[in-house]
Amino acid sequence: MKSLRCSLAALTLAGATHSALAADTLDIVVPFAAGGATDIVARSFEPVFSQHMGVTSVVRNVASASATVGTAEVAGSEGNPNIIEYAPAGSLSIQPSLKELSYGPDSFTYICRTVSNPMFLMVSKSSDIESFQQLVEQSQEYPFLYGSSGPGTLPHLAMAALVVNSDLKAEHVPYSGSGPAMNALAGNEIQIMADTETILENYDLRPLAVFAEQRVKGYENVPAIDELGLPALDFAVWQGVVAPKGISEERAAQYADACKATVESERFRTFAEKAKAGIAYLGPNDFEAFVKRRFEANKQVLQDAGLTQ
Amino acid sequence: MLASLTHPRLWLALALLAAGIGLSVVAWNGPDGAMLVPRVVLAIWCAMALSLVIVEALRRAPPLKPSLSPLPLLMGAVLVAAVTVDTLGFLLPALVLVALTLWLFRVRRPLPLLVGTVLIGGGLWFLFHHVLLIRLPAMMNSGVI
Amino acid sequence: MDVILAAAGDAFTWQALLAIVIGTWAGIVIGGLPGLGSVVGLTIFLPFTFGLDVITSMALLIGVYCGSVYGGSITAILINTPGTPQSAATTFDGYPMTQQGRVDEALGWATFASFFGGVLSCVLLIFCAPQLAKFAVNFGSIEVFALVCLAMLCIVGISRGSLLKGLLCGMMGFFFSMVGSDPITGADRFTFGTQALSSGLDLIPVVVGAFALSEIFVRFSARDEEATVIPEARLRFPPLGEIGRRLIELMRGSFIGSFVGALPGTGAAAAAFISYATAQKLSPRRAQLGKGEPDGIIASESSNNAVTGSAFIPTLALGIPGDVVTAMMMGAMVIHGITPGVRLMADQAQTVYALFVVLIIVNVVMLILSKPSIGLFRYLFKLPLGFVMAGIVMFSFIGAASVRGNPLDLVVAALTGILAYALRRGGYPLAPLVIGMVLGPALESSLRRGLLISRGDFLSFFTHSGIATTLFVLIGLFLVWTLWSSFMQWRAKLARRRQTSTRVIE
Repeated sequence: MKSLRCSLAALTLAGATHSALAADTLDIVVPFAAGGATDIVARSFEPVFSQHMGVTSVVRNVASASATVGTAEVAGSEGNPNIIEYAPAGSLSIQPSLKELSYGPDSFTYICRTVSNPMFLMVSKSSDIESFQQLVEQSQEYPFLYGSSGPGTLPHLAMAALVVNSDLKAEHVPYSGSGPAMNALAGNEIQIMADTETILENYDLRPLAVFAEQRVKGYENVPAIDELGLPALDFAVWQGVVAPKGISEERAAQYADACKATVESERFRTFAEKAKAGIAYLGPNDFEAFVKRRFEANKQVLQDAGLTQ
Repeated sequence: MLASLTHPRLWLALALLAAGIGLSVVAWNGPDGAMLVPRVVLAIWCAMALSLVIVEALRRAPPLKPSLSPLPLLMGAVLVAAVTVDTLGFLLPALVLVALTLWLFRVRRPLPLLVGTVLIGGGLWFLFHHVLLIRLPAMMNSGVI
Repeated sequence: MDVILAAAGDAFTWQALLAIVIGTWAGIVIGGLPGLGSVVGLTIFLPFTFGLDVITSMALLIGVYCGSVYGGSITAILINTPGTPQSAATTFDGYPMTQQGRVDEALGWATFASFFGGVLSCVLLIFCAPQLAKFAVNFGSIEVFALVCLAMLCIVGISRGSLLKGLLCGMMGFFFSMVGSDPITGADRFTFGTQALSSGLDLIPVVVGAFALSEIFVRFSARDEEATVIPEARLRFPPLGEIGRRLIELMRGSFIGSFVGALPGTGAAAAAFISYATAQKLSPRRAQLGKGEPDGIIASESSNNAVTGSAFIPTLALGIPGDVVTAMMMGAMVIHGITPGVRLMADQAQTVYALFVVLIIVNVVMLILSKPSIGLFRYLFKLPLGFVMAGIVMFSFIGAASVRGNPLDLVVAALTGILAYALRRGGYPLAPLVIGMVLGPALESSLRRGLLISRGDFLSFFTHSGIATTLFVLIGLFLVWTLWSSFMQWRAKLARRRQTSTRVIE
């Protein structure tokens, strides 16, 4: 298909534009519907980024539930210097271990990580549970139910890992996004949820622990998981930029510079603060190592929790 | 009775029954949890399709007059255009399809045909792809066409 | 009071008013074009909102949203092709009225019912948002399951011609919604190993195929007959007396829409079907429904436009988006530094009140703009049939290709179009297919979640809560009623036949 497309392009334009050349338009694939949490960050990232790249860029939403369709499209565009993806954590580091996909963690040129937010273990403020210890005790009689924004999402994985590694007794009920799950939490259909600071603040929930290696700024009285006598669990919702394999090194470097400049820009920082997106820049090499580490860790969780075949 | 056996309505019911049975086989081979509802739904599908096959076979419907219509050509063109968009980009298949639709709907004088194709096919594509920046499948890497 | 005045001041700036007019008008046109729906419309306008202030950008997006929900009814009535899935139920009575030459009346009722539903839900949003939100929270998975079961029963009412065929189409639609990842376990279903199918079939391409493309095929096979001429679109508002006579229908549709809209994850298409099914049981003119009765249009249009207002109830009261569209609005709020959530009403009262004012202005502007918009469609449909059909093909393709950028969606639209043509020729009703696809996912996921919550005990569904028990009793009554009335019909038919046979003997 690729070769046909290239040869057709070559035929029609007879060498006027070589298809592997960088054009002045750049497609930024966002694998979710317009207006979603990831899309909003991507759309705020885009103008500054394209200014630094000196191109006109277009945010293209390729929406699918687990974000795999858009990610697969970018992975499949090998050698195309005019397409990048603003990728969420799940499609890069979880989905390849859950499903048979056309891509894996090796299918990309990693550009940068932009934001990362640690996840909190939380319960409704109307419940009388004040600590993780209490939660474990109360779950012994009758197991709790924990919600998630869908099977195989980060909220699901974080809780599954916690249940495997502690005495907490809880079962999973997936919803079609954080919103419906919050509705269920408000109606006491589920009792526990793991999600980010945004959710925690917006819905008046009570944090019991944070899925990070140490306590988080702003939440100094919320213990990290390993302080509770459990193995350290590190779960964060992060986003980053990836490009297809096979692009030239100078193009990759250009992307990386533009990304760094964008993340450091005043405009993006102001936005991130408003949207409570924690800026956490990682350069190309660090980001690649990070994704691969997360991929392995998540794979282990999925195996331990019996979620993979 | 015999005439009704060759009636297309019966064939349609049979085709739906066959599809239902085929999908049921897939559903029963799948995992129990995920396939719970599909099994129920497909069972109702098969039951309805089977009853329809019986009803249509017993009914005395007037035989259809065979007619030569270029409708399958239009359907085929729509399907081919939809399939080729992925490889050829949006513009080329759309232009061909619009031209063919106009031709089949009796817009045959060269000028209206040409203007119609360029405006409806090319114009709308340009409007969405380049002006409103709703990106449609492109043929080239750079996304120009 | 000061807050409300200040909010009205925010809403009545020239920028906001201009945004409302542009947004609403564009929304009506986009909604009216088959294939392009609310989501595509909002995606087009979302990038523009980055440069605008918060009220202006909300005004633009709300205008597009409300306009597109109304616009869908125009093509539903004129050419039997709902411009958006939300208006699918409008075709049931809208198109028969057009065929009877009552197109002006049909468009008038659709416009007025849309306006009425929109305004009533704004009023409810302003005065009862916290109470309604609290009530909606009580709707857990089991209650939603019961409600969707009740709604599913409208397949029985709509497939009056042949129940077998209607149910088969309903199951087909339900099946379409199950392709892709299982919402509970995440396992792939019916994907046959293809990655493109794992994201499932989207509603828009299926609706585009089932209505727009199949309509082109039907009109093509009858292209030499008089009947294919599209009647001139005109608008005549219903007289006041007539409105008074049908006020109860308008109220019922609007209340159903407002309530369904307040439940997260249902949406306007489901509301329209539920409202239509209710009208089939309760309207005094129910015998005429489906044959060109304004009550059908009222049921559908008042409820789907009522969703536009009430979808903000969970968004504003709890910070939970009611549907894709309000999720997009929440995104736009976040861009402008307003975090939706439980404290939004308290922290950002002025913005929230301005939003209410904007919603009401949008509905008034929609009423004013209905005439010129319908005029535009009148000119478009005056073109030779070939151009109109080629345009519909093109918009269908653009809509299917852009709704989520999956190239498979075009193939799905084309195949559904061919299948739908065969089904229409075979006398199968297509509406149940859409109902199955709209309600199927809600039915399945609420059932499976309910089973997880009750630990696999289905019988406990019936006694889970007062709301659930009431709904299940209603379902039982509905079934008994349907069986009883069909039994009575059968007896009446038998008696009539006996009468005629005795007369023959005499």
